[in-house]
Amino acid sequence: MANKIITNALKNGRTVLTEVESKQLVASAGIPVVETKLAKTKAEAIEISKSMGFPVVLKIVSPDIIHKSDIGGVKLNLTNATQVGKAYTEIMAAAKKANKKADIHGVSVQKMAKPGVEVIMGMSKDAQFGPVLMFGLGGVFVEVLKDVAFRIVPLTRRDASQMIREIKGYPILEGYRGQEPANVTALEDLLLKLSEFVDKTPQIKELDLNPIFAYKDRAVAVDARVILESQA
Amino acid sequence: MNRTAAITTTKLDRVFNPRSVAVVGDKQALAYMWLRSLSSFKGDVYSVQIDPREFPGIAELGVKNYLSLMDIPGPVDYVIAAVPRTVAPTIVKDCIKKQVGGVCFFTSGFAETDTEEGIKLQQEITELARQADLLLIGPNCVGIYNPKIGLRHNPIQAYGEGGTVGFISQSGTHATLFTIAGERHGIKFSKSVSYGNAAILDSTDYLDYLKEDEETEIIGMYIEAVKDGRRFFRCLRETAEKKPVLIWRGGESEEGARAAASHTGALAQSSTVWQALIKQCGAIRVENLDEMIDTVKALLYIKPGIGARVGLIAMSGGQSVAITDTFARAGLTVPPLTRSSYERLATFFNIVGGSYRNPFDVSSSFLMSENAISNMANMLDVMEHDPNIDAIVLELFTIISPFSRNKEKPDPLLDTIVEFKDRSKKPFLAIVTTAHSEALASEIRERLMSKGIPSFPSFERGAKTLKRFVDYHRFKQEQALN
Repeated sequence: MANKIITNALKNGRTVLTEVESKQLVASAGIPVVETKLAKTKAEAIEISKSMGFPVVLKIVSPDIIHKSDIGGVKLNLTNATQVGKAYTEIMAAAKKANKKADIHGVSVQKMAKPGVEVIMGMSKDAQFGPVLMFGLGGVFVEVLKDVAFRIVPLTRRDASQMIREIKGYPILEGYRGQEPANVTALEDLLLKLSEFVDKTPQIKELDLNPIFAYKDRAVAVDARVILESQA
Repeated sequence: MNRTAAITTTKLDRVFNPRSVAVVGDKQALAYMWLRSLSSFKGDVYSVQIDPREFPGIAELGVKNYLSLMDIPGPVDYVIAAVPRTVAPTIVKDCIKKQVGGVCFFTSGFAETDTEEGIKLQQEITELARQADLLLIGPNCVGIYNPKIGLRHNPIQAYGEGGTVGFISQSGTHATLFTIAGERHGIKFSKSVSYGNAAILDSTDYLDYLKEDEETEIIGMYIEAVKDGRRFFRCLRETAEKKPVLIWRGGESEEGARAAASHTGALAQSSTVWQALIKQCGAIRVENLDEMIDTVKALLYIKPGIGARVGLIAMSGGQSVAITDTFARAGLTVPPLTRSSYERLATFFNIVGGSYRNPFDVSSSFLMSENAISNMANMLDVMEHDPNIDAIVLELFTIISPFSRNKEKPDPLLDTIVEFKDRSKKPFLAIVTTAHSEALASEIRERLMSKGIPSFPSFERGAKTLKRFVDYHRFKQEQALN
């Protein structure tokens, strides 16, 4: 499965995987992701939404459009078929307006995830040490405060446990002001799975799971982004 | 250990413990630095020099000179080459023919110059050495220091008695500075190596060697970059499980922002990754030579402890506030003592012109007391028995000299502190700030060190060292429990 996705993208001259491809790849490693399907038509989008159950999220799927929400390519909290149909039309129009030549695969349909503590995990490659994993709280914590921890792959359970506890925002994961605590063991498991996956998949150059929603009993990746090594 | 590594270890053993050393190209212009450094060497020393103008100088040092390495009658275990760079390939060829144990090139002007000629020359000697499996250290380095056998690279370096500290340094100056500064700080070395451009042997090879070296119990490293990062990572992890490894990374700030398409890529800067690596492997990160010295000294002389609650004994009111601020800033805590400690303190401690909450301000009970010595013994004892206190820090003043000026005579205060250090089960260190006289401060520190009591020259250095020290021991304890 993983190999098929990678080979297919490279064959088409792409190193940036789409959201749907990225999620399929990550899911194949046993990492929990929000189920996401590709709809190529409006009818398909409505049909998938119905079978998943509302509310859903629609996002543009195009290797040429990176900042999806900036161009109006993301519609959240769609509660019925009519809204999904309308959203589909709007997204397509917005995408074409943003980039006439964009190669558009369709839209992704996924169930609107129940909010949890937002967490980011990622992998990048260090010139000297190879694959490195990052962990942090999502949103402002990573973007503004850069409150993140790193470890070199492969991680041990102790590494995973320590890197989660190393960030300044750790108390937020323990439950802050009445918010439900996150299941830290589930996050450790996820880091270990990610470590194992990137260790045996050297074709991946960079990877972000952002955000991951951490709940009391589990954690699930809501968005994924994978960049492949270009072939020599 | 794989076969290649095992072979390298055997070969490294020969050059780290040579029985004969040849210096090629030492000269007046270098003030015969190499031959003078080797005046302490226990084995045979030879010189190789073809310039007749240098012959008298070499003869004056009592060293026999040869015109070629090949002319030396017996085997040569270690060669130090200080020749012009263009001669380097010839020397490598001679070393191969002579079947020497290994060669260290002090010669510079290779890849570090970033010029075509330098890079080409380095490639040439690397290829020659690799093909013949010749052990080559450097180039552009000062090589090996082994004090036990008097193998030195600087005439100031101590020799005779070996120690337990090993040092691996990309820089020759740092290797020299650390090994010569160590003396004043009670730090004695097993082996040290500066490896320069690492044309063949890199930091990991030396780390692998010192990992297995029974004489080496603590390893310090100065590194700018490593060649095979994955191998270094594995080796560091294994080594740090066995013995403390301190890493001072040079060039931390050089890396600019890297263009990357992901969050993770943009945030994963080289210095950040190094810090993560050091932590992950259970090594100790230091940022400069002072921190290297301080931390090694702590590991050698402070009893292990994992608690962050510090008992502070300062000489005056102002100092007691400053030392408390500094230790708190370093991430340690300065808690109140137990009620029974306070009850005991009340029986002898003069609170007029002093206080004993923690920190102690001992102006009236020590500096200006008839019972200075017994009071000091009692104060230390209170800290020792207080369950709220994990580690004890004693400040000594230069304003009023704490010890009698006659170093030959036993000093009652020094004896009291030594007696306490011997029986105390907690981490204990002294801080001697300089104030008016560097000479006096140094003298006090040296007298403490001579009795095995580590002291630090500022509150900041003492506090940061203690923090690093307890963090390390806590990490080791957690590791042992897992």
